Amino acid sequence: MEILGPVLVSGLTTGALYALATLGLSLVWGVLGMLNMAHGAMLTLGGYAAYAVVTAAGWPAPAGVLAAVLAGAAAGVLIHVMIARPLVRRSPETFETSVMIATFGAAIALQNTILAVAGGQPLGQPLSLSGTARLGPLVAPWQNLLIIGVSIVLMSAVALYLARTRGGRAIRAVSQNREAAALMGVPAEAVYLRVLALSGALAGACGLLVSSLTQLSPTLGSEPMLKAFIMCVVAGLGNIPGAIVASFALAMIEALVQYHFGARWGFPVLLGIVILVLIWRPTGLFGRATVQRL
Amino acid sequence: MPDALAVSGLTAGYTGRDVLRGISFAVPEGALVTIVGPNGHGKTTLLRAISGLIRPRAGLVTVFGADMAGAAPHRIAAAGVAHVPQGDMLFPQMSVGENLLMGAYLTTDPAEISRRQDEVFALLPKLAERRAQLAVSLSGGERRMCGIGRGLMSGARILLVDEPSLGLAPIIIEQIYGVIAALKAAGRTILLVEENPARVEGLADTVHLLDHGGIVWSGAPQDLLARAELMETYLGG
Repeated sequence: MEILGPVLVSGLTTGALYALATLGLSLVWGVLGMLNMAHGAMLTLGGYAAYAVVTAAGWPAPAGVLAAVLAGAAAGVLIHVMIARPLVRRSPETFETSVMIATFGAAIALQNTILAVAGGQPLGQPLSLSGTARLGPLVAPWQNLLIIGVSIVLMSAVALYLARTRGGRAIRAVSQNREAAALMGVPAEAVYLRVLALSGALAGACGLLVSSLTQLSPTLGSEPMLKAFIMCVVAGLGNIPGAIVASFALAMIEALVQYHFGARWGFPVLLGIVILVLIWRPTGLFGRATVQRL
Repeated sequence: MPDALAVSGLTAGYTGRDVLRGISFAVPEGALVTIVGPNGHGKTTLLRAISGLIRPRAGLVTVFGADMAGAAPHRIAAAGVAHVPQGDMLFPQMSVGENLLMGAYLTTDPAEISRRQDEVFALLPKLAERRAQLAVSLSGGERRMCGIGRGLMSGARILLVDEPSLGLAPIIIEQIYGVIAALKAAGRTILLVEENPARVEGLADTVHLLDHGGIVWSGAPQDLLARAELMETYLGG
């Protein structure tokens, strides 16, 4: 019972981070049909933006949070304007492949820019809470509770936006039937821009949270993005509620495996689960033959 | 006073193949104009070229006097054209109510949206019953009604309706044509595509017979059924 507490806290924390990383990735896939390979680099950018504003410029913490979110959103906008839009205009037939390669290139460029500017040595993220909370037998660091809370708030906000607002409805309409949405008067490119900006903002926030647990490094976002891909595939690409459930479930399994068999077994077990899921249900756990869209 | 919709010299098609060759006709305000012709002769392509889903290669598409040929579909929708497409193209994972709200996407005034919704529910009471149901779970006839209702929600001044009878049982086709007759009686401007010329007799003001991407005959529907061109178009030659 004593060991269950820390495993639970660790599983929930990584689950929240995976879910947040997955949400942005899945949203872009569902609406634009594009795998954004630069998603991890947008996470990294968010972490460094907060560091730059708080440590280097000496501004207060809220400015650091804002900087992470805005830097991520700006990266999303640039990816739309400079990569996605020109590629889909030039050749919609090959878009799915070409955009993967192009965003992969953007990720390498962004990662190396960060390396050149900030250096390769790990930096401490100043934005984090210290101390632990006690609730009966459970002990949890405040920072972990903050991460879980912030992730749940952000995911609920996105869910409400998609379900209840005119703009969110337009996003779902484009993902469910692009042509019909255009006939209703929805400008598809404006929706794509909004989705990439939203995904970037979520990535920026997620990067800040990840770096508060570990440290800042130019490859900060790589592992969360890899995990986000795994969640998307396990849940079925484009299925957002499924991806969030998968994130928490697999993070729990990972935490248990890491506790019982050692940290190095966590990732192989996750990959093993992916392979089993793909053999058993090629469209993902919650996927149907036709992908359930937003 | 310009026509609600006028098409002149319209040429359009898909990569490397023209489906429409120099089509010209007009839809005056308040009229119900029908394009008839067998399947595969360009009726759907014509509506898609008018609403901007495909870009015409040549010709004009004027909406109340303004040329919209080649404009993006969301701009043509904003100019007042509502296209009820073939196969309905509903948003499958949205409820009927949300589909209707998407129809009114360009309107931001909630009072106006609820006024239009009341109108649609009065015309298509079945949609009020199915309001909370996902579009993917509707029957064929209900889907068609939802598509028409969604088109009406835009408040557009011109309604393009692509083969509303397609794939439906005869009794449902009658209901759908009852709805179209009611819209005509209410003074709506409608461009209707239909495969079966007998179905629009007594309903359409003007019929254009489309054959191999060109209009081969135009006139009143009751005259069409007696014409030799009809036989030639449908039976070959």
